[in-house]
Amino acid sequence: MSHPATVTRVAIAGEFSIFTAAAVRDQLLAALGGAAEVEVDLAQVTELDSAGVQLMLAAKREAAAQDKVLRFTAHSAAVLDTLELCDLSAHCGGPAATGAADTAGATP
Amino acid sequence: MNLDDALHTFIVEARDLLEEMEDALLRIEQAPDADTINAIFRAAHTIKGSAGLFGLDHVVAFTHVAESVLDLVRSDKLPITAELVATFLGVCDHLGVLVDHVAAGTAPDDATHRASDELVNKLRGHLGEPLPAKPATAAAVQPALSAATSGGVETDHWHLSLRFGAAVLRNGMDPLAFLRYLTTFGRIERIVTLADAVPRLSELDAEACYLGFEVGYHTDVDKATIEGAFEFVRDDAHISILPPHSKIAAYQRLIEDLPHEELPLGEILVRCGSLTKSELAAALSHQSAPGESPIRPIGEILVERKAVRPQVVEAALDKQKQVKEHKRTESGLIRVNAEKLDEHINLIGELIIASASARLVAQRVGMPALLEAAARLSRLVEEVRDSALTLRMVQIGATFNRFQRVVRDVSAALGKDIRLEISGAETDLDKTVVEKIGDPLTHLVRNSMDHGIESAEIRLACGKPAHGTVRLNAYHDSGSIVIEVADDGGGLCRERILKKAIERGLIKAGQQISDQEIHELVFEPGFSTVEQVSDLSGRGVGMDVVKRNITALRGTVEIDSVEGVGTTMRIRLPLTLAIIDGFLVAVNAATFVVPLDMVVECMELSAQETEAAHGRDHLNLRGEVLPFIRLQQLFDIPEVPDVIDPEADGAFADDNTQSRYESSSAILTAEGAAALARDPELAFLLQPVKRENIVVVQYSGRRAGLVVDSLMGEFQTVIRPLGVVFNGLDGISGFTILGNGNVALILDVPGLVRRVAGREGRRTAKATAYALTE
Amino acid sequence: MTKNILIVDDSASLRQVVSIALKSAGYEVVEACDGRDALSKLDGRKLHLIISDVNMPNMDGISFVKAAKELPGYKFTPIMMLTTEGGAARKQEGQAAGAKAWVVKPFQPAQMLTAVSKLVLP
Repeated sequence: MSHPATVTRVAIAGEFSIFTAAAVRDQLLAALGGAAEVEVDLAQVTELDSAGVQLMLAAKREAAAQDKVLRFTAHSAAVLDTLELCDLSAHCGGPAATGAADTAGATP
Repeated sequence: MNLDDALHTFIVEARDLLEEMEDALLRIEQAPDADTINAIFRAAHTIKGSAGLFGLDHVVAFTHVAESVLDLVRSDKLPITAELVATFLGVCDHLGVLVDHVAAGTAPDDATHRASDELVNKLRGHLGEPLPAKPATAAAVQPALSAATSGGVETDHWHLSLRFGAAVLRNGMDPLAFLRYLTTFGRIERIVTLADAVPRLSELDAEACYLGFEVGYHTDVDKATIEGAFEFVRDDAHISILPPHSKIAAYQRLIEDLPHEELPLGEILVRCGSLTKSELAAALSHQSAPGESPIRPIGEILVERKAVRPQVVEAALDKQKQVKEHKRTESGLIRVNAEKLDEHINLIGELIIASASARLVAQRVGMPALLEAAARLSRLVEEVRDSALTLRMVQIGATFNRFQRVVRDVSAALGKDIRLEISGAETDLDKTVVEKIGDPLTHLVRNSMDHGIESAEIRLACGKPAHGTVRLNAYHDSGSIVIEVADDGGGLCRERILKKAIERGLIKAGQQISDQEIHELVFEPGFSTVEQVSDLSGRGVGMDVVKRNITALRGTVEIDSVEGVGTTMRIRLPLTLAIIDGFLVAVNAATFVVPLDMVVECMELSAQETEAAHGRDHLNLRGEVLPFIRLQQLFDIPEVPDVIDPEADGAFADDNTQSRYESSSAILTAEGAAALARDPELAFLLQPVKRENIVVVQYSGRRAGLVVDSLMGEFQTVIRPLGVVFNGLDGISGFTILGNGNVALILDVPGLVRRVAGREGRRTAKATAYALTE
Repeated sequence: MTKNILIVDDSASLRQVVSIALKSAGYEVVEACDGRDALSKLDGRKLHLIISDVNMPNMDGISFVKAAKELPGYKFTPIMMLTTEGGAARKQEGQAAGAKAWVVKPFQPAQMLTAVSKLVLP
């Protein structure tokens, strides 16, 4: 990374679901508060449900609102499977997705 | 699936339904229960619904009248009478004709139209009050159809609009789980996740649900099943389901119902592929047009502009529902084209040969791992074969049930009271066999009714019940299926048959003939003992044709008859025509296959036994007389490839030309002479190295021995029919290709056993004497 | 990942049948014979679904659901209640407690599997 000092990495492991959503929310908010760029590593996610999906979308929105960059990286199979199911791969998918290319495409 | 396929499905379905309808009609006089009445009604109703879907208006109109009458029956307003049943049997037949026209792609001819009108008039008679005149009936049907055909959108997928309440996630319900469930019986073509309601993270209640989805969904299930997916979330969500080809008005209503969307729903619908751009434009332009009611007219406008495809939406839905209802009991069944299945089985046949070939190579190479792999392969192929063959198996019940109608019609025509009893309906057999056995069975049943069962007066005089009985029975017996047609009639008259046979020159006067042989005579070409050929069974199709048809299926037919008591005709058929488990034997360089299920045992003949058997055609097997045939002699197989015994030729020819009605001693002499002639040479060649083996086979209760050189073990084999050239080759029923590419002939064991038994029957006394002196 | 299901019912035969059906479909199954027994099974293991009878000795289904909803590891676990026709009052009580999926007894194993797969696929 060219600006290692400004990138905060967060890893989400295990279940990314209604059971953990509240905790992940706090974790991501904290990360966004302390850096201009946040990278969320999803390699260890074993389960992603609706609560996780909407949290990802909300995190993107938050980053955009703060004029920051939030990236999801290293999607696990479970994550890819769910994103594909709701056709959100383009929005929360590849590492190239940035805060600027925001959201689920339902913004006016 | 294109429209032609769908039409084909309709034809098959309609024929099935008509069959069910006929069955139910035949049952209903005896047992007029609600289920049976419903079955008849449902059949008519379903055919009407499906026919509407394909625009078969004449079928719809005709069925509609029938359905009205049935409705009265169902609501107990019309009693079931023999006359009503007869009318409906006619309706059933006529619908069959109409369906045949659909299948053939032809329009019904004038005669058919007249038949339609006649039946409609009869039906109206049953309705009591005259139906509205015909044009009115047509009119009643027509508008319903045209209303249903209008206004449908292009797409053939369902459209689901899903909005989930905030509490859903807390309740443990995951909207994505419902979507996943939908994918188990359909395909999500397009999905748009509605995330407008999702706030930025700082404002997010992580446990509340903010999501909605617009889904283009492809499935064959009905609406109720799709709705069922959301059963547990019904109170907490707003779910709209639009069927394929819904009217634009329905989408319009959807757009109006969900106005809060930030992205116009219309565009999402386009994105889901549920509406085309122009359809959306039409819907929206109409929506904004002032002074018109929002829903109804748009369809009309679109129809006027011919902007929409005519689709029979309601008929389609109706049909789906009916099909669902009808198929509920058989859910999980797939209809497969029989040709595809045949192709599949042919391929498996090739696979069996290929696997045998691989095994041979493995044996030659002798590599243990390869041998093991080849063995596993052939075991699996065997399993695949078995399962594939069971796919072709159908129960004979449906075929049997058709005879209810035959018996009903024929007994009416003959003026006899005859009942049909059916047993063994659940017996399975190959579909090909089922298809081909119908005609021979029909002939046998008619024959029994016509010639077998006596008139009521004669029956009563004999102390029998006035009504005659024909019984159809089926069961499995060592690799065969046995189908019996039995009657309690007069039985075959020995004297009459004998007289006829002598007249025809089939036998000589004064010749001693067993009962079995007399019965066999019935199958001789042109043999009929009834002087006046009746209208029914005497249509130029004799019992010889029946026998030929059955023989063509590798089956046999035999008769048990007791004069005055009745006749049982017993058809014995192989369970399948395609593949058999064979037992491979060799005679010199030639290889033969004996169907394994007919092999009782195999043994090596000791030198003494070989010796004792020479010049004879039977041997002593553990104290029992076993007639045998030397394959070498029968097929004239050269001892050493280039030495041909001229004597054997003669013997074979002699043997072949023996009529089975000629005296037995002639055969014996010819065979004995031939064997004796060969004896010195045989003995010389055999003694030092060669041992003989005998394969004991059994068919329909009779045993025979086949003398061969060596036993090569079990072998799975695909039967290939003999070409025209070889057809009728005595003792051979087909051929197969071995793993090494060589051809092996499949022995016609029934034929061989019959041949041996023919000799045996006339020699019982002699053989017994032989056994005693042995 | 295998999906774990807890089945709570005082009828051993019912548990057995449901268990066989679920296992054959690819689920892992934990059995409990009443509410109290079921609570003891809520020991931190991941459960993707809880299926519970209503009327049971020791602790009935409704009390069990209420107790389960208090536990952090299980408060969002989907719960399916097995009920007989006419248990409307109890059903309301159960729904208020957070059990939204209801299946009416008697049911065929296949019906149970269908209902379960709406909530969690194997």
